[in-house]
Formats: sequence, C-alpha cells, structure tokens
Amino acid sequence: MNYETIIGIEIHCELNTNTKMFSAAPVRFKEAPNSCTNEIDLGMPGTLPCLNIHAVELALRACMGTHCEIDPLVKFDRKNYYYSDLPKGFQITQQFHPIGKNGYLNIQTKDGMKKIRLNRIHMEEDTAKQFHTSSGSLVDFNRAGTPLIEIVSEPDMRSGEEAAAYVEELKNMLYYLGVSDCKMEEGSMRCDVNISLRPVGSDKFGTKTEIKNLNSISNVQKAVDYETQRQKELLENGGVVEQETRRFDEATKTTVLMRKKEGNVDYKFFPEPNIFPILLDESWIESIRNSQPELPSQRKEKYMNDYGLSEYDASTLVQTKELSDFYDEVVSHTKEYKLAANWCMVEMMAVLNKENIAFKDNPCSPHHLAEMIEMMKANEISSKQAKTVFEEIMKGKDPKKVVEEKGMKQISDPNEILKLVTQVLNENPQAILDFKNGKGRAVGALVGAIMKLSHGQANPKLANQILNEELKKR
Amino acid sequence: MRLSDFSKDIEKNVDLSVSKLNDAQKKLNAIVTMIEPDEQIKEVKEKDPALPLYGIPVAIKDNITTKNIRTTASSRILDNYVPVYDATVIKKLKEAGAVMVAKTSMDELGMGGTNLNAYTGKVNNPYDVKRISGGSSGGSAALVAQGVVPVALGTDTGDSIRKPAAYCGVVGFKPTYGRISRYGVIPYASSLDHVGYFTTNIVDAARMLSILAGRDDHDMTSSYEPVDDYEKKLNSDIKGKKIAVLENVMSSIQDERIIQNFNELVEKLEKRGAIVERIQLDDALLQTLLPVYLIIANAEACANHSNLDGVRFGMREEGKDLEEIMINSRTKGFSSAVRKRFVLGSYSLFVENQDKLFRKAQKVRRVIVNEFKKVLDEYDCVMASAASTIAPHPEESVGEKMSDTYLVAENFMVLGNMSGYPSLTLPSGFVEGCPIGINVTAKAFDEQTLLNICKAVEEETGLENVTVEVQR
Amino acid sequence: MEKFSKEMLKKLANQVMFDLSDEECEELQEEFVTYLKQLDLLNKINTDDVEEMVYPFDTPTSFIRDDEHEYALSQEDAMANVPLKNENYVVVPKVVK
Repeated sequence: MNYETIIGIEIHCELNTNTKMFSAAPVRFKEAPNSCTNEIDLGMPGTLPCLNIHAVELALRACMGTHCEIDPLVKFDRKNYYYSDLPKGFQITQQFHPIGKNGYLNIQTKDGMKKIRLNRIHMEEDTAKQFHTSSGSLVDFNRAGTPLIEIVSEPDMRSGEEAAAYVEELKNMLYYLGVSDCKMEEGSMRCDVNISLRPVGSDKFGTKTEIKNLNSISNVQKAVDYETQRQKELLENGGVVEQETRRFDEATKTTVLMRKKEGNVDYKFFPEPNIFPILLDESWIESIRNSQPELPSQRKEKYMNDYGLSEYDASTLVQTKELSDFYDEVVSHTKEYKLAANWCMVEMMAVLNKENIAFKDNPCSPHHLAEMIEMMKANEISSKQAKTVFEEIMKGKDPKKVVEEKGMKQISDPNEILKLVTQVLNENPQAILDFKNGKGRAVGALVGAIMKLSHGQANPKLANQILNEELKKR
Repeated sequence: MRLSDFSKDIEKNVDLSVSKLNDAQKKLNAIVTMIEPDEQIKEVKEKDPALPLYGIPVAIKDNITTKNIRTTASSRILDNYVPVYDATVIKKLKEAGAVMVAKTSMDELGMGGTNLNAYTGKVNNPYDVKRISGGSSGGSAALVAQGVVPVALGTDTGDSIRKPAAYCGVVGFKPTYGRISRYGVIPYASSLDHVGYFTTNIVDAARMLSILAGRDDHDMTSSYEPVDDYEKKLNSDIKGKKIAVLENVMSSIQDERIIQNFNELVEKLEKRGAIVERIQLDDALLQTLLPVYLIIANAEACANHSNLDGVRFGMREEGKDLEEIMINSRTKGFSSAVRKRFVLGSYSLFVENQDKLFRKAQKVRRVIVNEFKKVLDEYDCVMASAASTIAPHPEESVGEKMSDTYLVAENFMVLGNMSGYPSLTLPSGFVEGCPIGINVTAKAFDEQTLLNICKAVEEETGLENVTVEVQR
Repeated sequence: MEKFSKEMLKKLANQVMFDLSDEECEELQEEFVTYLKQLDLLNKINTDDVEEMVYPFDTPTSFIRDDEHEYALSQEDAMANVPLKNENYVVVPKVVK
C-alpha cells in the first residue's frame, strides 16, 4: 500500500526582549545561576504578573509576517501542572484567545511554491532550565518567565523535505523580523514535529507520534524521514502506530520512545484572573505593521529589480540577515550595487571565513567599504591598490587614511604625468629609436619605466595616452 | 484608639502598643509574629512628622508580604518563609510613617470565616474569649478591638474583613476591587480578593483609604480611578440619600434584638432625611451566593497555591523523588480543611466538569452582579445586618457548611466580592455584651458616599472608638 | 472507578500533589454530596446567553509594562528561602521529563 505522510509542526520561539514576559527581570544567557530573576519568576507568594509590551510587539510582528488574523483584545489563561521547572505550578499562556490565528507561510518545494497554513500563534512564558547530575537535578530560574511564542502549523506538510523547508522559512523570517535570534542548537527556537501516516486517498488521519525538541533543520528532515519509514514498516507488517512521544537520537539517526501518551493530560485551563483583558490600540498595531523590517523575499526582489543584481547574487546576500543588512548599509553610501555585492559576498566573506570571525565581530565598517568603492570609481585608486586598501579596512582602518599613509593615491593629473613621461623619454633615447623603427613593444617597456618611476601611482591609461602623444612629437 | 489620639512621640506610641501586645496575645492568641520595631523607629525618625501615620503602630494580616519579616499566611507550609520583598500596601504604610508591630493570625491562606483554622490556633473574641473572632482576618480585628493598634490591615475574599469586624465591634472596610493594590498579598481567590483594614471609627477609615488606595503598575487589575481626600470630604449629611435595606437578609434573621437594633437605626437615618426602602432580591438567586462563591474561590485557590511545593521556599518534607517531596510537603503543610477545598476546586476545573461547575458558577456570578447593580443604580447604598448572630462559640460556628436558615443572611456580604463594590461593616450595638454590626455597600469607586453614610450611622449609634482596651 | 470513592478522591488529591487520609476522604465524600446538591441551586438560574464573569469589572485595561526598566533580586535574595541548594542552584532529586 502507498502511504501519505502527514506532518504538523509546533515551534517555540524565545522573543528578543530585555525583560521577561511578566516580570522586569532581565533576559540574559550564560549568566550565573539564579541571578536574573525576581520574586515573580520564582513564583513567590503574593506576586502578580505584569505583561511586557515589547513581547506583545514581537508577537504581533510574527503574526503579521505569517498573515495571521490578529486579536486586538489580549487575554491569558492558566495551564496547571506541577514540575520543578514551573515555579507557579501553572504556566500563563493563551489557550482560548491566541493573539494570532489562521495564518500561512509559503515554502519552496521541489514542485514549486507551497502554502502551509498556520493554526495559531500565542504568547506564553518559558520554564526554568534544569541540569541533571548523578546526585540530583539543579534548577536555574534565569530562563523562567522568558517570553515565548508558540507557532502551531496545520498538518499541511507531506515530507521531511517540506518539514525542513517550513522550519527554515519560518526561522529565517522570524530572524529578519527581529522577533527571535532563532538559535535552534541553543534552544531559543525549539521544534516539535507530529507525524502520522495514512493510505493515499484516505481523508482520515492516522495515529500520530510526536518527536520533541529537534535542534537543527537537518535533524527535522532526518527525523521525519526515519519516523515515516518506521511507521510505514509497522503498518505494512500489520502493526499499529501508538500515540507516543519520541526523541531523535543524533548518534543512530533514529527516533527513540520517550513515553507513551495515556489519554490526554487535563491541564485544567482557565482564564488568568490577575490579567484583565488588554485592548491593544489600533493605531499602535498599525505603527508596528508600518515598521515591519523587510523580509528576505522582499529584499531579494529589491536587489534584483532595483539594483540589477543576478538571482544568484541576490539569494546569496539574503541567506544571512547580517550580510544583507551590511550590504544595505554599504549601498546607502554608494550606487555601485554590483561592485558592492561582489566585495561583500566574495572578498569580505572570504576574509571572515578565513580568519574565523563571527559577523557581529566584523571589523569592517560598511561606510568604509563604500568609501573604498567610491575611490575606485573615481579612479583615485587602482583595483590592484584596492586589494591593499581592503586588507587594511578589514582591520578596521579608514580607507582615506590607508591611502594617505601608504601614499598610494593614483596620479591622474596630465601635467604630472607629462613630467614623468618627459623624464623617462629623456633617459631612454634608444627606446624612442626602436619605436620610430616600428618596434611596438618598446612602448610597453616605456610604460613600465613610468610606473616604476611613479612608484605605481601613475594612472596607467593616462600614462599610455600621453606617452604615445609625446613619442609622435619626438 | 483613634489615629488622632497619637502624638508625634514615636517611642511612646510604639512602647504603649507593644506593652499591650503581650497582654493581648495571652488573652486573644491573635498574633503569629511579633515585629521588632527598633529598626523601623529609626527609619521613621528620619521622616517628616507631618506624615499621616507618623509613628503610629499598625498590625498586618499575615498573608501580606513583609520584607525580612516572616510571612506565613497562618499555614504550616510557609512557617519558615521570610519574604525578600514588600507588598505595595506595606510600602505605602512605610511611606506614610507607620511602624508595624505584629503579623496577625488568620484562617489558613484566608480559607475560612472563623479563624479556627489557623496554624497557631483559634483567635479569641476580645468581648468573650470563649467566642470566635470570626475570620479570616480575625487576628487583625481582635487587635483593633482590644485597643492594641488603631489600625490593622486585612483581606476580604468572601467577608473576611467585614464579618470579624461585626463580631469584634470595629469598623471593617473593603474598598472597591482595584482600589488597593494586591501586589504582595498572598492570594485566596484572585478575582474575589480585596485588601482592606480595620479601624475604630469612620474618620480613620477615610484617612486610611487615601493612604492605601491608588494605581499600582505591579497589579494589572489595579484601577486608574483618582484617589480623593476622603477624610476632608467626609460629610454625614445624608438628606435625600437613598438607602436600600436588603430584606431577604433581615427577614431571615431570628434574633429579635438584632432586628430591633437595625430598625431603630433605620428610623434614625430616616429622621436625618435619608430615604430608606426595603427591597427584595430573588431568593433563588441569593441562595446561590455561597455555592457560586465556593466553586470560584476553591478553583482559583487550588491553582494560586500550586506554587507552595517545598522547592523554592517554605517547609520541605523529603521524599525519594520530586513528586514525593511535593506530596509530602503539601500533605503536611496544609490542614485537612485546605486540602479538601483544593480537591473540590480542582474537581470543578476538569474539562468534563468545567461547563457545569466552574463556568456555570462564573455565569451565575454575572447574573447575581447584574441584579445587584440594578439595585445600586437606583440607590446610594445597600444595607443589612452584618451577621445574624453575635460571635458564636467554636462548636456553633457553621463555617462555610450549608445551613438553610442562614444561607442568605450569613453569606450575603459576598455580594461585595462578586461585584467588587466597596463594602463596610461598622458596629451598631451590643447583644449579651457582644457587639453586632451593620453592613453597607455602595457603587463601584463611590467610597466617599459609602463613608458619608457610615459616618451618619456612626453618629447615630455613638459607637465611635469603642474598644475593650485594658487601661494601663 | 466509583464516583467519589476513596480511591478516586485520593487520586484527585494526588493530582494536586497531596495525600488524603481515609478519614479525610470520608469527610470529603460528605462535602461532595453537599457540593453537588448546591449545583441544583445553580441550575435553577437561567444562564443562557450569559457570559462567564472572570473579573469583577469588564472594562479592558490598556496598560502594558515597558521593556526598559530592569529589576532583579540579588542571587542571595533569590536563594534565601530555598530549602536545598548547591552553588546557587535549587536542588531536587533527579528528574527526567
């Protein structure tokens, strides 16, 4: 029998805020344990939640980027369960009234563009982080209360490739929107995948399994592919798929059972009485909509249509937001779009990769790079000189200063060049004779002499021209 | 004791109060923790003597969080809990120059109306130590009635300030929901919890409101309504004021002396020009007050107290795994009564029960409040006897159990919690040497009218600043 | 499981992380009878088309906290009440989710 794989994905994403969802404690990573908390995050008696406006703004940006309907009346609910990483004994979430619903995302598949529907986006708070040692579990509440959005797709994906494309598209978009830093390997973006199989042509869903906490896009694809195969073999051998939670094992590239689901846990959701519903101002929502950062697809279009870049160049630039941001900054100072793209994508990336420098530590300023490109365009430096200048601006230097210090400014003044030409001709009477006798290559030797005399600073084109004129006069 | 009885001599004020405290504690068992006042005295001395509570000793219900001062909410599970932050009301008291002298006993986590269910045991009624103080703010009520402090903070989820105020013969006031910040107040049921206080007279109640009320950004349910100078605007001229007497309550009270006391007061108010009319709400609706209250309160309470698990603070009992630690800590940490209420609360939140229990109760709550609002759209206030008896003996107290006779009369004050409307109990007389009181409820955020009418009542009863103070 | 049997009540209690004694279960059985009887009173009230009342007042708020002002406890204060700790971590028996 032929089976169809049905995939739905839930993604938890930590929001880029300074403070927590419901408390003013700072959101920071890799700090000393329990040093970024206050009484609210620790669930101390008597504390009350107080919603962070920036978290709402970022949730709205995610909703807008995914074409969700936005509910301007923000409400929260309690999800009740007991665990050592859950300080209050309940999590504040948006069970009944998600901030966004009925959205979609377009992904690129081998058969072209495909629309993946989003069921909902809702806000909630993260739990504490636990470290397991042989003698017990250590709990650090620094992460407790960190703002999260959960993005729930409809079961619209049909293969590991589509699942991976969906996660990649979403990750890229949320990153570009500044919603989250989306570091899957560090857990700031966490991905749970639901998979079931059904005979092709059936409209009923089969029993699904959930694979928790996939920590990279390639693992999403690998896990889905493996799990599809596993379920298929089960079904073909007359077995049944059981509803269970599994995890992906990196070493064996397989999915492993974590626990069986015994019925549904009743989280006893009810509306959070300590947060009155908050009516978001329509004009505020509009101002957020109007200040949405450009998405990769929008930037790509701009690069191709407005800047005349090739599809390849445009795609390469938008692959990482930092590179694209850098390029945008460079071309705000120069109109040499193609030249700027080459320097950014090829020369600069080569240095960063070779020196193993992270983009955020890039010593080169976009303004400096633009200046250098402008100098090339004005024939102030040759492209050969530019390579030297570039090496220096990649160390954080100002190109004007480099040119000055190295005295490498190109000589383009005809009078200056005439002086050089005259001196060289006076010193090489034999070459003039050779020229007169029809030995064309004598010119090359004379130009070489001019360049040598000028320490390579003479504008070669101009030198050639003036030399030819002077030779004819002799 | 009135606030105005106190001089600016902080030490003298505090010494007097502290010396009374020790005697009062032997008699009343009203205190969970005595507070060492020296540090506070030093701090207050740096402040402006014109502050409204400059150097005045106050007592605090033990569910209100006090930085560096043990706060147990009269529950064993918090017996060793010393908060690292102050509740907003505590900050306000400190800013006003008050000196805290005691944390007072209460029904565990506010869950009770008798103060019998406190980890430190029964609080005795100052007028008859064999009788109960009422609860859950029993310790605070008893200390004010005993003349130990002129003001004590309490909280009120069903009638937890206003019932003990009636039993102890003091003024007990719960302003509108959102008037006083709940930040730092260990909850019972968040949608019904109010912060309030006890005084011996209406002038002090008015002054305290201006001190404690006001928007607090730490409490998202806190109101932006402007706060007035209630004391300055206090005006007992109630000519033309429309008062509704809740006849459902009055007609079910069996003690003729209480009825007579109430009727005499009504006559006096009418003589002052008030228009008093007896109104009747649907009995079937009022009979739901207690069950609706209990369903909502128990459900919210069960979730609210899930943080008490022995992991980050409080009394931890060991166990072989996390679940066992939580179960052992909570089994030993909560009394039987509290655990049983949590089970009832949790049950009504299950998906299969929510519609017919929790959500049904929330819907009936709206029907009740809508009816109550209609009355207050027409009248300036609603009035009735605050209790159908004097303070009972422990074995007579029915607590929250069903008692058909007094189902309405003993529970009607919860109307103030469901609606959020401001509600105040003040003494109206004595029966068998024990105090009785009346309860007055007004429109949302109209505390001024409420206080004005209560001032008129106080002038008629003459029961201003009555305490059973031991003369020293 | 029989409705409100001791077994069921103990399970209910364990779900909210405590135990009930046999005696407590018996008391609770009685209270459940009353509790459910009170439901009859609620059911007499027509609540068709009535929305749940979650808060005393229905007016929505517009206040949301800004993201600028940070406030954290010192590590010492955060850990002050922790019953079992190790190097500023809260310690519990090993948990595997």
